[in-house]
Amino acid sequence: MNKKLLIVLLIGLFLVEGAMAIGITPGRSTFDYSPGSVKNVDFSVINSEDKVIDVVVLVQGEFNESISVSEVSFSMQPGESKTLKYGFTMPPNLSPGSHLSEVVAVQLPGRSVTSEAFVGAAVGVATQIIVDVPYPGKYLDASLNVIGPSDDGEVTFVMPLLSRGELDVVKANAIVEIFGPFNDQIDRLNTNTVSVNSGERKEIVANWNPEVAPGQYRAVATLVYDEETRKIEKTFSVGERLLEIDGVDVNDFRLGGIAKFEVLVSNQWSDAINGVFAEMSVFNKAGEVMAEIKSPTYDIHSLEKKLMVLFWDTAGVSRGEYDATILLKYSDKSDQHDFKLDVRDDEINVIGIGYVISSEDTGGGLFSNGLVVFLVVLVVVLVIVNLLWFLYLRKKIAKK
Amino acid sequence: MRMDKKIILGIDFFILAGTLALIVFSVGYVQPLLIAPQDGYESNNGAVLFSFEKADVILIDDNIDFSSPDEYHVEDNLVINLKPGVYYWKAVGVLPSEIREFKINSEISLKLKQDGEGYEVVNAGNERLNVDVYSEGKIIGNVVLDVDGSEGVFGDKFVGRSDE
Repeated sequence: MNKKLLIVLLIGLFLVEGAMAIGITPGRSTFDYSPGSVKNVDFSVINSEDKVIDVVVLVQGEFNESISVSEVSFSMQPGESKTLKYGFTMPPNLSPGSHLSEVVAVQLPGRSVTSEAFVGAAVGVATQIIVDVPYPGKYLDASLNVIGPSDDGEVTFVMPLLSRGELDVVKANAIVEIFGPFNDQIDRLNTNTVSVNSGERKEIVANWNPEVAPGQYRAVATLVYDEETRKIEKTFSVGERLLEIDGVDVNDFRLGGIAKFEVLVSNQWSDAINGVFAEMSVFNKAGEVMAEIKSPTYDIHSLEKKLMVLFWDTAGVSRGEYDATILLKYSDKSDQHDFKLDVRDDEINVIGIGYVISSEDTGGGLFSNGLVVFLVVLVVVLVIVNLLWFLYLRKKIAKK
Repeated sequence: MRMDKKIILGIDFFILAGTLALIVFSVGYVQPLLIAPQDGYESNNGAVLFSFEKADVILIDDNIDFSSPDEYHVEDNLVINLKPGVYYWKAVGVLPSEIREFKINSEISLKLKQDGEGYEVVNAGNERLNVDVYSEGKIIGNVVLDVDGSEGVFGDKFVGRSDE
């Protein structure tokens, strides 16, 4: 036993010695191009290990002649974070677009404490230096993000815009066309309009309240800015990929015989869901599983209802009520439905199949705070008093 | 007559001053109080504690216009895991709060474990990594690792950088 423990400890020690880890932050610094300007940037190298490590710092990429690092070789204590600095002089005549260099901290292979062997690999991490050189004229970088659907079903299309041109963009907006599973256009939305100055980042947004079946849809956004256009596409899902149990029935039953459960399942999704099966468990009074049964697999087409069949051998089962669950399994989902079986001599009643949906909003929010309500009422009363006084009573008293 | 005018002016003053004081007090009382994160907060840790009072919604966006905010309906402090980047946040109760800015710094961290004849590279940072695999000074491959992702590789040098 002791020998085994020793072997495990030795393996553990070797594994620990065989691990290397190094970090660097920030991962990236981005600069707008300004020829000849000097940037001095702090960055930190982190020794994430429990041992002393040796580190060298290298510069690589387009600007390796223009970047100097404060220290190029040093040792680090366990867990130490060391702040270094690099100086970067922006070279002249860079072409439009993004330019990249890297400062790389490399942890050198170390000598093992438990043996004379080297861990024969070096591991490095890079902080990137990116210089954005503006394009001549107007140029917008754009992407399309689809957010939602939210709890109330709304889908939001967001397009972050980054003006990378030398000139300001006066007017930018987009038309978002939504296409269904059969490539039919379902809707067309307009975003808001913004102006984006050179180097600035803004967003344009369109909201959509879909009245369509759940499924996969495609958004095609046509970005229009001044005289330029650009198309961006993205697929997204509406609704949850969902199967619902509409009912469970048992017909022609005799206690002690085979009960045939017919589970009616409907596919709410706009595509077929394949390989669906159900697993039913029946529990005795002590909560122990007394039967586990499984259906064959089924393919259920879009918006189709299908009967799934399970057989339960009731030999040795007594009359009475039993807890039961059906697990509906499809794709990577597993939906559980709890219910009761009322088993009689010549029938089984299925009780309580369905969901309990609870509202998330249980409180009254801030207005449940009595003092807030009191203050609101007091302000309203004071406004009325003011109006009464200045428009009516004051004049009346002054006349007297 | 002069006395009447003085009384009327006194009532004017009393009503206006009382109304103003109550409004100032009410606004001060109902305006959400932001506690954390502070304006200008910076961290390498993406788990950010949002602490506030007198609000039931917080909005977080990477755009100061809050054109596409993430909305959290909460009545207490909460911790949200965020990707590296610059964010703006505010709380909304009866009135909206001030807007605060904070930054999650990217941390590039690469772990190397011996795995039989080769190695396992692990992304221990908070950004997706692009790892160059070298052998005898030449790049022989490249792997992309999600946060906490790992992959078995053969080589003698491994350099990771942000793949965002």
